[in-house]
Amino acid sequence: MSLTLGAQYRWDFLVQGALSVVWNALGIVPLYVALHGRPPVAGWSYEQVLVVVGWFTLLKAVLDGAINPSLTAVVDHIRKGTLDFVLMKPADAQFLVSTAKFEPWRVVDLVAGAGILVWAFHLMGVVPRAADVVVSTALLLVAVAVLYSIWIVVVAAAFWVVRLDNLSYLLSSLLDFGRWPVSIFKGFVRLLFTIVIPIALMTTYPAEALLGRLAFRTAALGIVGSLVFALVGRLVWTRAIGRYTSASS
Amino acid sequence: MNGEHGIEVVSLHKDYRVHRREAGLWNTIRSVFHRTYETVHAVRDLSFRIEPGERVGFLGPNGAGKTTTLKVLAGLLHPTSGSVRVAGHTPQLREYWFLKRITLVMGQKQQLIWDLPPVETFAQNRAIYDIERDTFERTMKELDDLLGIFAIASKPTRKLSLGERMKCELAAALLHRPEVLFLDEPTIGLDVSMQLAVRDFIRSYNERTGATTLLTSHYMDDVAALCPRVIVIDKGRLCYDGELRKLVQTVRPDKSIVLRYTERPDRVALERIGTVTECDNAKAVVRVPQHQVRDAVAHLLLDPNVHDLTIEDPPVEEVLRELFARTAEARL
Amino acid sequence: MLRRVKVLRAYPTLLRVGFAGAVAYRAEMLVWMLTMTMPLVSLALWSAVSAAAPVGRFGQRDFVAYFLATLVVRQLTGSWVVWELIQEIKSGALASRLLKPIHPLVAYSAENIAAIPMRALLAIPMAIIGIVSGGGKLPHDPPLVAALFLSLFAAWFITFCVMAMIGTLSFFMESSYSIFEIWLACFMLLSGYLLPLELFPEWVRRVTYALPFRYMLSFPVEILIGLASPAEIARGLLVQGSYCVGSCLAAIVVWRVGVRRFGAFGG
Repeated sequence: MSLTLGAQYRWDFLVQGALSVVWNALGIVPLYVALHGRPPVAGWSYEQVLVVVGWFTLLKAVLDGAINPSLTAVVDHIRKGTLDFVLMKPADAQFLVSTAKFEPWRVVDLVAGAGILVWAFHLMGVVPRAADVVVSTALLLVAVAVLYSIWIVVVAAAFWVVRLDNLSYLLSSLLDFGRWPVSIFKGFVRLLFTIVIPIALMTTYPAEALLGRLAFRTAALGIVGSLVFALVGRLVWTRAIGRYTSASS
Repeated sequence: MNGEHGIEVVSLHKDYRVHRREAGLWNTIRSVFHRTYETVHAVRDLSFRIEPGERVGFLGPNGAGKTTTLKVLAGLLHPTSGSVRVAGHTPQLREYWFLKRITLVMGQKQQLIWDLPPVETFAQNRAIYDIERDTFERTMKELDDLLGIFAIASKPTRKLSLGERMKCELAAALLHRPEVLFLDEPTIGLDVSMQLAVRDFIRSYNERTGATTLLTSHYMDDVAALCPRVIVIDKGRLCYDGELRKLVQTVRPDKSIVLRYTERPDRVALERIGTVTECDNAKAVVRVPQHQVRDAVAHLLLDPNVHDLTIEDPPVEEVLRELFARTAEARL
Repeated sequence: MLRRVKVLRAYPTLLRVGFAGAVAYRAEMLVWMLTMTMPLVSLALWSAVSAAAPVGRFGQRDFVAYFLATLVVRQLTGSWVVWELIQEIKSGALASRLLKPIHPLVAYSAENIAAIPMRALLAIPMAIIGIVSGGGKLPHDPPLVAALFLSLFAAWFITFCVMAMIGTLSFFMESSYSIFEIWLACFMLLSGYLLPLELFPEWVRRVTYALPFRYMLSFPVEILIGLASPAEIARGLLVQGSYCVGSCLAAIVVWRVGVRRFGAFGG
């Protein structure tokens, strides 16, 4: 239903698509100036970092295109008190809430992300092994699942702190730290981004898998970790809804 | 207040261009490259004159052009043609002295700052309108007498009930003692007691300060209670301008006589007196032209079964409906 | 003329009420400030890159100083008037502002300025600690400090006028948000937000010195961490001044045309 709404704004589609391309190019400029034609940093060369950027772009497309619009819609519902209508529908509330809105022009971002990946490998003159592609795609799906769980927890928080309109920006900004490989960060920050808010998991691991340097154990741990996250997310959500419906208006 | 705060409108026209877009994907794509426009005549050749201190009601069906006219008078829209003078100024120029002398209260929208107490909005308005300290304090005291705002204005706006918010909205809109008041649906969404309170306030304010008051409302009771004079607009054109009472008399010079019986009434007999709109076991309603009411009543009271008799005016809504129907016919 | 002076007398009250509003909104403000992570992301990259060898004249500590300074200046000079305008034009709330005898842009500017103390409260201590611990030196020369404050104010002013102009374009189109995004992309690239302007090739650098973006961000940063010579500072202040005047005039003109259109088309 929300797709037709998006399709109505054809002009917007074109403009937003063009802007997508601009933003992606912009993201690469600092990388180019910093690393192109220079020795690798923390074990990553320019082309290899590009692979991370490619995955990052794909993930961002999913976040901005599917996850964030729904988040903003839910926060809006809560503020206007129309969440009750959603809860009265005969389907799982979490599902309804998650598919509320889409931004179809983010498809351009997906294409851009894939394009960056292709270009990076072209620069390196290699082609990734089929097995690696499978593993990295699996990890990407895992990444989406983790992102989704974090998002659900954030939405649940919105039940308590309704005035936060910029929650979606917060999530996007956090994800921005996944633009570079996690080994660029040092010490405490690196730990933070690997375990607490597993941004490393979302972009670095799929990239490493594609480059054929991800240990099997790490991949397995990642998948298990994401399942844990998904469970936690679901728990938090059901608690929050329970409190919301039992509280009087 | 000197007598300079009247309103004069001569041959006002207001047209809009709206672009038509039909549903469907193909039409949407086409509309990116080629737009068809249509002219909507919101207000056509409207003329009236309001003397300083009058209370006038603006009536008309939805989309008749009431809010458009009000916005033109406030200077938010400029006329396509015609002349408008409010308080001696041309509204669309939005001069400083013009803006100081008017106020627009919109029932649906609010100007109070949401997260801060109304006193902050009052302080802000006082600064913007450049009001002297003693004048301000005097005005606030008067508004408190009429509305009781001192008790509630220190709580954040979002914590106030709808009725309390409306009172503070009115206070915020009037603290600069405007000479011309435009009220667009001021009682919409309020409960009955609040509606009465707002009505009383508007009347008192007008009587105390002599401000010219122009009011639009869907609630006929507002207009009937407040406005001796009404201007009726339909499809952008003036339908009627004059006393409400006379409108009622001219358009529907019938009164309804409500009778209560101890026994079943004789419908046939009643129909000889007037038009029977209701007739059941204990109650009957007969519509009778104005000039025949006395005879009809005398006749009806002869029936021993009548134990109660009241004479009612037709509801204003019906009067208006009748008026619009007639004007529509006249135009065909 | 007298009337305009009278209206300015209202400004202090507008500032005070705006400040109260900013305090009431402090939770949102905190979140907004937390979402500004771009300089830190950039810092991570450049810090790692310069660990081995400096890039240009920037060593690792210099990058820390630069990006922290960028973060602080951005927090202090940023303006959200474009969002407010788009919202209020769409919802029709702008009508209330137009009925008041004070120019809406003046009212907006008061609200924006009033929020700066709150933002400064959070941003400045962080910046000072960051810069000093990074081994940088803060300007303590009175003329330098004066130049810094002047450049900060001018940066805020230009940003405000440009944002107001973009927001005003909503009078002419569905939503000027896409124009804002285009502007933002140019800004990030050419203002020194993504990387120090010095690190660009020479011809790009010369272009950025002519465009307004540098004067909205990089210029105050350069003064703050001592990257600019006195001659460059003087020249920069002059260019900033002219951009202030230019953007102000442009904003007023676009506003006038926009309001006229609003009046013709029913708002």
